[in-house]
This record gives sequence, structure tokens and C-alpha cells, in this order.
Amino acid sequence: MEEDIDGDIEDIEALNYDDLDNVSKLQKSQRFTDIMQKVEAALQNGSDISNHGMVLEDDPEYQLIVDCNVLSVDIENEIVIIHNFIRDKYRLKFPELESLVHHPIDYARVVKKIGNEMDLTLVDLEGLLPSAIIMVVSVTASTTSGKPLPEDVLQKTIDACDRALALDAAKKKVLDFVESRMSYIAPNLSAIVGSAVAAKLMGTAGGLSALAKMPACNVQLLGAKKKNLAGFSTATSQFRVGYLEQTEIFQSTPPPLRMRACRLLAAKSTLAARVDSTRGDPSGTAGRSFREEIHKKIEKWQEPPPAKQPKPLPVPDSEPKKKRGGRRLRKMKERYAVTDMRKLANRMLFGVPEESSLGDGLGEGYGMLGQAGSGKLRVSVGQSKLAAKVAKRFKEKSYGSSGATSGLTSSLAFTPVQGIELSNPQAHAHQLGGGTQSTYFSETGTFSKIKKT
Amino acid sequence: MQMDEVLSSVAETIKNFAVIYLVDISEVPDFNTMYELYDPSTVMFFFRNKHIMIDLGTGNNNKINWALKDKQEFIDIVETVYRGARKGRGLVIAPKDYSTKYRY
Repeated sequence: MEEDIDGDIEDIEALNYDDLDNVSKLQKSQRFTDIMQKVEAALQNGSDISNHGMVLEDDPEYQLIVDCNVLSVDIENEIVIIHNFIRDKYRLKFPELESLVHHPIDYARVVKKIGNEMDLTLVDLEGLLPSAIIMVVSVTASTTSGKPLPEDVLQKTIDACDRALALDAAKKKVLDFVESRMSYIAPNLSAIVGSAVAAKLMGTAGGLSALAKMPACNVQLLGAKKKNLAGFSTATSQFRVGYLEQTEIFQSTPPPLRMRACRLLAAKSTLAARVDSTRGDPSGTAGRSFREEIHKKIEKWQEPPPAKQPKPLPVPDSEPKKKRGGRRLRKMKERYAVTDMRKLANRMLFGVPEESSLGDGLGEGYGMLGQAGSGKLRVSVGQSKLAAKVAKRFKEKSYGSSGATSGLTSSLAFTPVQGIELSNPQAHAHQLGGGTQSTYFSETGTFSKIKKT
Repeated sequence: MQMDEVLSSVAETIKNFAVIYLVDISEVPDFNTMYELYDPSTVMFFFRNKHIMIDLGTGNNNKINWALKDKQEFIDIVETVYRGARKGRGLVIAPKDYSTKYRY
């Protein structure tokens, strides 16, 4: 069961573990105790500025700081593992707690406080959690499906909680130590964001060079809290801000500009971290100039827009009207275009009196509409140019080349007076071109001389 | 006085296509007979030394001889005169009809 573990503390796949020590080895490791001792000693000694002249890499304090960074990442991973352990054990007692309290350390504290108690009114969670969450926890506990734990399991769980809290305290000490040395390690970064935030950023990133290698968008998100509890409003939560939220610059910008300020801060602090990782500016002047730049930019954003100048009117007709073109406009114009029927009505044959609406030359004249010589009894709706293009492409696709008629048009035209008059509608489609159009190149035109035998 | 106010407030806006000259007919009486200037205020339009007539509906197409109150109206008239004069027209039609002016 537990024997397949090969001593790798990152192995989270370990199932059926009964003992915490099998998965959580960091606290017992030599490395951990060494570094913690050194950190305690250094914290008591206070800051030691005399080693400014030394090359950074030879400085034992710098090495200690690098180790601290790695250690803080390890501690975090360790806390996650222990949290999983506690959660798995405590699930039998209070399964819903893990979805209500997300933060591992808070979870550990709550578990320690509740213990094996079934009635949550006897447990005082003040100060551990926000009051809203305490309320939700109490309500959920009254309807929980869990059962009290056996004594030994409870003891192991409480031990694990103690471990987690100890690790958290150790991490705090490490961070404090790094913070106190921050202005020596990364002067430019701490000039912009302050030493506390700089230490946190470095700790989460896992070192100054790791922080320098990150793109600015990632730096912005370092330390961002993820989930909101279901049912709580998301209106107040700020998206996409991490530890940078705690910087003085961020807190002093008005809320509408905060997102822009956050991006700006992330960008400049990444630059400062890069400067620091190569020790390009030990005095921190670059950091201070970045800070000035950031302040100036934020000031500029808050300026009112320039006052509107009254502009004189432009010369009339000096700018040609922007005429649009394209398919949409052509289709719109087609709705108002002069139709073939109207064109026929507008023209007259020479020497032939036209019919009119009131008869005898009175009323509106019909022109060539309905005249015998035109060869048409019915005027079909003329094909628009666009439809002609579409029809042509359709013809080419389906029938190949020279289809003069599409197979779907009928050559019969029925009239109320006479019988059937056979006529080919396509033959007269090009009768009415505009005077400027040549039917030689017409898209709807057919061969005019070729007769079918 | 009212016409003067309108003219001065409009001058900057239309300076790209029109310039306004204010003439006191008591100090410069030379054109009084030529243009029949005897109203309290008269506005006439000239384009490249040619007098442009406007059909205002009042019967007198040569000038505006009352005080206009609305700046935008005046700007419209000036723009119409400019457009027409540039095309070569000697008579333009005002956008608003003033034949009922004396009724209100």
C-alpha cells in the first residue's frame, strides 16, 4: 500500500496513506531545519549593510535568500499536500467544509477548532473566518451528512493541522527575513512596489531570476485569489490583480483607473526585476525613476479633456460627398431603378398611335406596352444585372458553356384573348438596352442571328 | 443692433467662405441711392464683385432689410448664396420663406 512511495515528496498520487509522514517530509528534512536556523539568526542580527562591496554571488546572505525563495515555494507545495490529507480525513465528518473554506490555512484552523464537535453553535469561529462564511458554515453543519471521527483518525487530523500551521509560521518568518533584506537584494523592485510586496512576489515566483523571466501579465497575477464562493456577489471582487493590489500606488489610484494602473505597475515592476536580477543598478535609481514615471502617467490620466474649441464651418461643396458603392448599394438602387415595363411605356413606335388608360389619347399613355410589333404580350420582369451575374455563374456551373436558355423557363405565354403564343422570353430580354449599352457584350443577351433549325 | 449681434457671432463660424463688412450709411452715403439703403439694417450679398439676389418671398430679392434673430437661419442663407453663386447663378432661393414675416 504505502510502500510504493519512493521518497518523492511531490508524489500526490499516494492513496491509502494513513500516516502523514509518508507524504509530508519537508519538516523533518535537514535542509529545512538548516535554513530556518540561519533565518532566525539573521533576523536577530538585524540588517548588515557592510557587505555592499562584495560581489553578490559570493555573499552568503544572498545565497541564503536564494535558498529562502526556493524554500518558500516548497513550503507552499507542502501545505497543499497537507491540506489534501486533512481534507480527505475530515471528509467523513464534514464534507461540505472544503467547498466553503478554500484557503488551506483557514481550513486547518477551522478543523482544529471544530474537532469532533457535531453542534456548531458551541464552536466559536470568530476571527478565523469572515462572519458571512461563519454563518454559512454553521447552517451547513446543521444539515451535514457527516459522522464523528474515530479517536485515532481525529488525532492524526489535528496533528496534520498543527503541522500546516507550523509550516505557515515558518513561511512567514522566511518572508519577513527576505523582506528586511529586500532593499539590498532588489532595490529597484522595492522602490516601485515596496519591500513587503516585493518579497511576496519573489517568494511566489521562486527567486529573483524566475521573477525576471516571467512576462508582465504573469507578474500581475501572482498571488491572485481564484474562486468566489457560490452565491456570493462577484460585483466587489477585483479581477486579475494579485499581490500588486497591496501596493501603495494601487491603493491610491481612484477605482476607475485601477485596472490600467495595475497593468502599468506590473510592466514596470517586471522591468525593475530584470534590472535587479542582472544587478544593473545597485543604487535603485532606475526603480525610483520608474516610480516617478508611473506617478506622472496616473496624473495624466486624471486630467480633464481639453476644452472644445468652436470650429468654423467648412467651405460648402468643397469636400466631395463620400459616395459608397458595392453590392449592397446596387441592390438598394435596384428597388428604385426604372423597370423594363416603364421603359417600354416611355417609348413609342413611329407612326403607331399608343394605347392609353382612358382611351383615345386621354390619360396616361402605354407606349410600346402591349403593342403587336414588340412581339410580347406580357412583359416579364427584367433580369437585374446582379441576378444576371448569379444566373450566369449558375449556368456555367451546372450546364457548362453556351446555354442560351435555362431549362426552367417556359417558352409559352398565355393570353386571355388568343390562345397559346409561343415565344422565347430570353430573345427579347435585350431588346431594351439603354442607349449607351451595347448588347454585344450583354450578359443576358443571346445570339441574335442564329436561328434554331 | 440685433442684426449686428447676429453678424458678429456668426463671423468666426463662416469665415472660411464669407466675410462680413459693416458699413455705416451715415458715414459712407455714396451707395445709398444705388442700392436704396434707407432701412435700419440691410444685408446684401456680393460674390466676386457681382451682386447676388435671393428669393426670400418678400418681394425684394436684392437684400434682407430686417433684423434676423436666428444665427442658424442666417448661416443657411449665406451657405445657399455661396453655393448658388459658385455655380454661377445670379438668383438663389432662400431655404426659408419670409413672405409671412410681418404677420408675426
